[in-house]
Amino acid sequence: MLKKLQLKKHALTAISYMLPLVVASGLLIAIGNLTGGYVIADYTKAYSVPAALTSLGVFGMGLLAPVISAAIAYSIADRPGIAPGLLIGCIAKEIGAGFLGGMLGGYIVGFFVLWLKNNLKVPKWAEGLMPMMIVPTIASIVVGLLMFFVIGVPIVWLTNALTNFLTGMQGSAKFVFGAIMGGMAAFDFGGPVNKVASLFADGLLLEGVQGPEAVKILASMVPPFGVTLSYALSKLTKRPKYNAEEEDNIKIAFPMGICMITEGVIPIAMNDLVKTVFSCTVGAAIGGGLSMMWGVESPVPSGGMFIVPAMNKPLQFCLALLIGSIITGLLLYILKKEPVEEKKNDAEEEDIDFSDIKIS
Amino acid sequence: MKIVGIAACTSGIAHTYIAKEKIVRAAEELGFEAHIETQGTIGTEDEVTPEQIAEADVALIAADIKVGGKERFKGLPMVEVPTEAVIKAPKKLLQTIEAKVMKK
Repeated sequence: MLKKLQLKKHALTAISYMLPLVVASGLLIAIGNLTGGYVIADYTKAYSVPAALTSLGVFGMGLLAPVISAAIAYSIADRPGIAPGLLIGCIAKEIGAGFLGGMLGGYIVGFFVLWLKNNLKVPKWAEGLMPMMIVPTIASIVVGLLMFFVIGVPIVWLTNALTNFLTGMQGSAKFVFGAIMGGMAAFDFGGPVNKVASLFADGLLLEGVQGPEAVKILASMVPPFGVTLSYALSKLTKRPKYNAEEEDNIKIAFPMGICMITEGVIPIAMNDLVKTVFSCTVGAAIGGGLSMMWGVESPVPSGGMFIVPAMNKPLQFCLALLIGSIITGLLLYILKKEPVEEKKNDAEEEDIDFSDIKIS
Repeated sequence: MKIVGIAACTSGIAHTYIAKEKIVRAAEELGFEAHIETQGTIGTEDEVTPEQIAEADVALIAADIKVGGKERFKGLPMVEVPTEAVIKAPKKLLQTIEAKVMKK
C-alpha cells in the first residue's frame, strides 16, 4: 500500500523542482547582503540595487513552501494538482508551517485532486469544466479550509507553547537557554521551529538583548558547516558517507551556509531525516549554549560570516561555531552509514533481482 | 528489440545522463536499439520522435521523479525503474525485459 503511493517519488519530484529556486534565491540574498542590501520594506521610497537583490532572494525563499506543495501535488495528480498545490503552499507559508507544512499540504491536496479526478462524475456538458473550474476550485476550498483551520491549529498552538516556554526559561541558566535557542534554530533548517526561535531573537533584539541573535546566526550555520565537515572527514578517512548526488548538494550547501542560509541542507536532510536533524540540533544546541554563556552578542540579525566582525566577541563566536560544527560533523560521521554507491567498473554488474519487474 | 524511453533523476544534472548512457551502451552491446530522452533540470533533450516510438517494442522509463509525456508511449509495453537499477545492472535489466516482452 505504502509503496503504491510512491511517497518518496513525490518528495523527490518536489526537491527537483525546488533546487534551482533555493540555489538562485540563496545566492541572491548572499550577493545582496554582501553588498549592503536589506529587505525593502517601503517601495514608495528609493532603494538600492543590493536591496533589490536581497529582496528578490527573500521573495524566492518565500516561494519554497508553495513550490514544494505544488510539485508534490503535480507528481501525484498531474497538471490539475498544480494550481491548488500552489494555493495550499501559500497557506503553509503564511501560517508559518514552512517546508514541512508545504510537504504535508502537497500530499493532501495531491491525493484529494487525484480522488476527485477519478470519482467525480459530471454530465457530458460539464466535462470541459472539470480541469478548468470544478477540480481546482473544490480542491482549493476543501484542503484550503483544512489547512487554515485544522492543520494550522496545532502549529499555532505549538508556536505559542514554545514561545511561553522560552520566555520562562530566560531567567535560568544561560547555557540552557542558548542551547534551546540553538537547537530550535537548527531543528528544521529554516522551517517553522527555526522561525519561532528567529522571531524570538529578533524580538529581543528590539528590546536591546543581543545574545539570542548571535545564537540564531550560529545555529543557522552549524548544519551546513557540520555536514561539510562530516563530508570532509569521510573523504579523509576514505569511508564514504554520502552518494554522488548528496556530495553535489553539500558543495552547494557550504557556500550558502557561509551566508547563513541553512536551507541548502534540506535536500541532504530529506534523505536521512532523523540522523541529520539529530546531529544538527545537538551541534547547534551546544554551540548556542556556549555562545550564550560566553556572552556573545550580535547587533545585526543576519548576514552569516560577513557580520561576525560586527559582534562584540567575534573570537568567542567563531570558537562556539567551530565546536558546534565539529560536534555535528562527528555525529553525522558516526551515525551515517555507507551510501549505496554505483560501481565504478562498467563491466561488472550488480546482481539485482529483476524477476518481479512489472510490464504494463 | 527496439527501446524508447525517458531518463530523469532528482537533481537532474548527473544521474539522468548516466542512466541514458548506460541504457544506450548496454543496448548496443546486446544488439538492441535504444532511444532515450533526458528530462533534466535544463529541460528535455534528445526528445524521442513519433517514428522511433512507432517502431519500438518497449518503453523504458528510468526515473526517480515524475516524468512528462508518458502518454506518448500508449500501446507499448512499459517498464518503470529507478535510475539506480539501470546504472547498476543495465544489461541484465534489458535482458530481463526482452525475455518478458518478446514472450508475449
